[in-house]
Amino acid sequence: MKRRIAIVIMLVAALAVYAGGSSEGGDGAFTPSRDVTWTCTSNPGGGSDIFTQEIKDIIMTHGISDANIVIDYVTDGGGEVGRLNVSRTTGPRANHTLLTFNSGDLMPMCLNTDNRIENFTPIALMAVDNHLILTGDLSKYKTFQDVLDALAAGERIVIAGSKGDDIETYNELIAELGVTANQFAYTTNDSTSTAITALLGGHVDLVLGKPAACEQYILAGRMTPIVALAEERFDTDLLKDTPSITEFGYEAVDVPNWRGVVAPKAMSDAAADFWSEVLRQVSETEDWLVGYVERNGLVPQYLDREATVQYMADFQADYLQKIGKDK
Amino acid sequence: MENFAMLFHGFSVVFSLQNLGACLLGSILGLIVGAMPGIGSLAGVALLLPLTYKFDPTTAIIMLGALYYSNMYGGAFSAILLNIPGDSPAVLTAVDGYPMATVKKRPGQALMTANASSCIGGIIGMLILVILGPALAELGLKFGPAEMTVLLLVAMTSIGWLVGGNPVQGLLLSFIGILVASIGMDVQTGRPRFDFGNIYLLGGVEFIPFVIGTVGFAQLMQLMDEKDDVVHAVTDKLTIRGSMLTAHDWKRLTPPSIRAGVMGTFVGVLPGAGATAASFLAYAMQKAFKSEEPLGTGAIEGIAASESANNAAAAGSFAPLLALGIPGSGTGAVLLGGLMMWGLNPGPLLFQNEPDFAWGLIASLFISNIVALAISLGIIPVLLKILKVPIRVMIPVIMIVCFLGAYASTYSMFGVIVMLISGVCGYIFEKNDYSTAPMLLAFVLAPLLEDNMRKAFIATAGDISEVFFSSGISIVLTTVLIVICAFPVVRTILIKTGKYTPKKKSA
Repeated sequence: MKRRIAIVIMLVAALAVYAGGSSEGGDGAFTPSRDVTWTCTSNPGGGSDIFTQEIKDIIMTHGISDANIVIDYVTDGGGEVGRLNVSRTTGPRANHTLLTFNSGDLMPMCLNTDNRIENFTPIALMAVDNHLILTGDLSKYKTFQDVLDALAAGERIVIAGSKGDDIETYNELIAELGVTANQFAYTTNDSTSTAITALLGGHVDLVLGKPAACEQYILAGRMTPIVALAEERFDTDLLKDTPSITEFGYEAVDVPNWRGVVAPKAMSDAAADFWSEVLRQVSETEDWLVGYVERNGLVPQYLDREATVQYMADFQADYLQKIGKDK
Repeated sequence: MENFAMLFHGFSVVFSLQNLGACLLGSILGLIVGAMPGIGSLAGVALLLPLTYKFDPTTAIIMLGALYYSNMYGGAFSAILLNIPGDSPAVLTAVDGYPMATVKKRPGQALMTANASSCIGGIIGMLILVILGPALAELGLKFGPAEMTVLLLVAMTSIGWLVGGNPVQGLLLSFIGILVASIGMDVQTGRPRFDFGNIYLLGGVEFIPFVIGTVGFAQLMQLMDEKDDVVHAVTDKLTIRGSMLTAHDWKRLTPPSIRAGVMGTFVGVLPGAGATAASFLAYAMQKAFKSEEPLGTGAIEGIAASESANNAAAAGSFAPLLALGIPGSGTGAVLLGGLMMWGLNPGPLLFQNEPDFAWGLIASLFISNIVALAISLGIIPVLLKILKVPIRVMIPVIMIVCFLGAYASTYSMFGVIVMLISGVCGYIFEKNDYSTAPMLLAFVLAPLLEDNMRKAFIATAGDISEVFFSSGISIVLTTVLIVICAFPVVRTILIKTGKYTPKKKSA
């Protein structure tokens, strides 16, 4: 008898612990009941960290949620360890774990590991970044037409950029322009700032970058944007006069650099809906739209959970096809 | 001069209670994280950065700048006393500092040398930063992939000076260093190399756990080998007075400190080079100059070159960060992120738009130099007490320090595994009289060389003449490279033909 009572007590205790961790109310709604671990796979001060800190700050200052969010930097294996850990998180912790996840994370993950977006619960897409090409004081190409003329004349041009989606954008660019990687060569750098260093020193002809990384150099007159690679021109005072590549008779070649949030696959629907709603509220604040999106020259593009699942799955499918890993 | 006027304006910014407090706190934290193996300036600044997001930007950068700078002082402590470099720029400080402390039984003087040369190097770096200001950053821009390739090739030739009497052993360990450094992601193609399907290896092998193992853990195993429980250094004169440098010591440390300070500043300005490369280059350069004792045996000149260069490089790396918004090192990249989080716009307009911020930071570096020096001198007697601890007590303590340091550098057990493997290998190498210094030098320089060389070849379509002779800087450096490579050959020919007779034994 004592043994049975002990077993019942243990079962009740286990259920209580489980229920306490998951904290889903009777109506199925979720509210966080423990510290939330938000994994960031770049170092503090990096782009992903700034994105994460900004959202955390808005959640706190606007009272969107009173959850205590702890940012956990897991940079092992180029961030793959952090992504794998989050994808495998289970139990009550799964509802309290988030991961900053950008297109620049998805591409190396698909390229170098077997981890896929299906191993996560996509929560929201927050913003999209677009690319532009810039020239410097010491470059002999002052306009995009100069670049096109030089390529037509068989000249060799060197463009510098960063990793991840910059490389993909470059690959699409040379395909669209119909030139070879040898004629329009690309040097990969650890960051856009290193590429800018090469341009300012006259060691490359052009830089492929994003508005936020280049804004101060444009303002200082050290760099000039010569073409936006998106369908349309940028909608900012600084870049509104920069022609779009479509104005030169080419298709847009931009690979959008999206910034989003995902969670473990084991996160419950109620928790995923909760976090998606939290991020929707964040995306509508002035602090987000002006203090982060506008300041970094991004395009605000909040997508809810359902739309994000589709968007990320489509992006991954396209990318896997490009790199020949779609089978 | 206008720049000095701006510097005094910077001092007026720093001399507020809040900023002075931030400077003092940053200096103390920098000394602590520098002295703790594995944390270092990069991790120290990264850990503290999120706490400063709500600070006034000038106060925040003063605190982090002071931390970064004084970290260079702290790194020497454990390097000299335990043979475990507190941070990567202090690796070569250990090479001479530890023998000076233990074999030569002058631990106080070794610490004093490190502090004095750090101060000299720092002041040189800061003065060059003030005088040249943005022009210093523009100089760094002239070093593109081609120029960096030739410069790094010159630096790689210094391995020849580090290998000692057996070139085959030196080359072997250099190749091992290159091999280990090539594990991880290939930056140019974005594809993994030598990862063997292990997710942890995708990010490559971190330098800090590698060096803690190769130098520190290997040293620990050697101590365990000795078995006898002796005090491994002198027990007398463990006071500040007993640690004072003689006039002769000062004469020995000043010239290398000045040389390394000037060189370290310029290396700090170069893209991606940083304080570690600066200390290696300065040490290699010191090999070309006369030292009273052979480097690696506890020479004051070796400690002075390494310490002066890393402090000067730390100061120099602020030039591209402030003048162009371009980080000169990993720590600079974290600080750059901080500038954005604090609401500033890093870039060419920072000096113009935010003079309080830029000059306040530079002024604070002078103050943190003095604060770090004062604290470092003051704690010498406390630090020296470490040497009184018997080996049987020291061994577990060092072991814990090695494990903690390796874990702290990566926040995972992967760092500990790297430390253990490299420790065992380092022990085997040392036991068989293989010097591990060339391996560490190759590990630091090879990724930089590879990255720049591949970029240079892409930019020039593989035209070697464009790489080596495309600019004045390249031509001068190529000439130096040829002279360095040809010198031993010419020397051998001259000796064989009887036209030159070498002196008996020189450093």
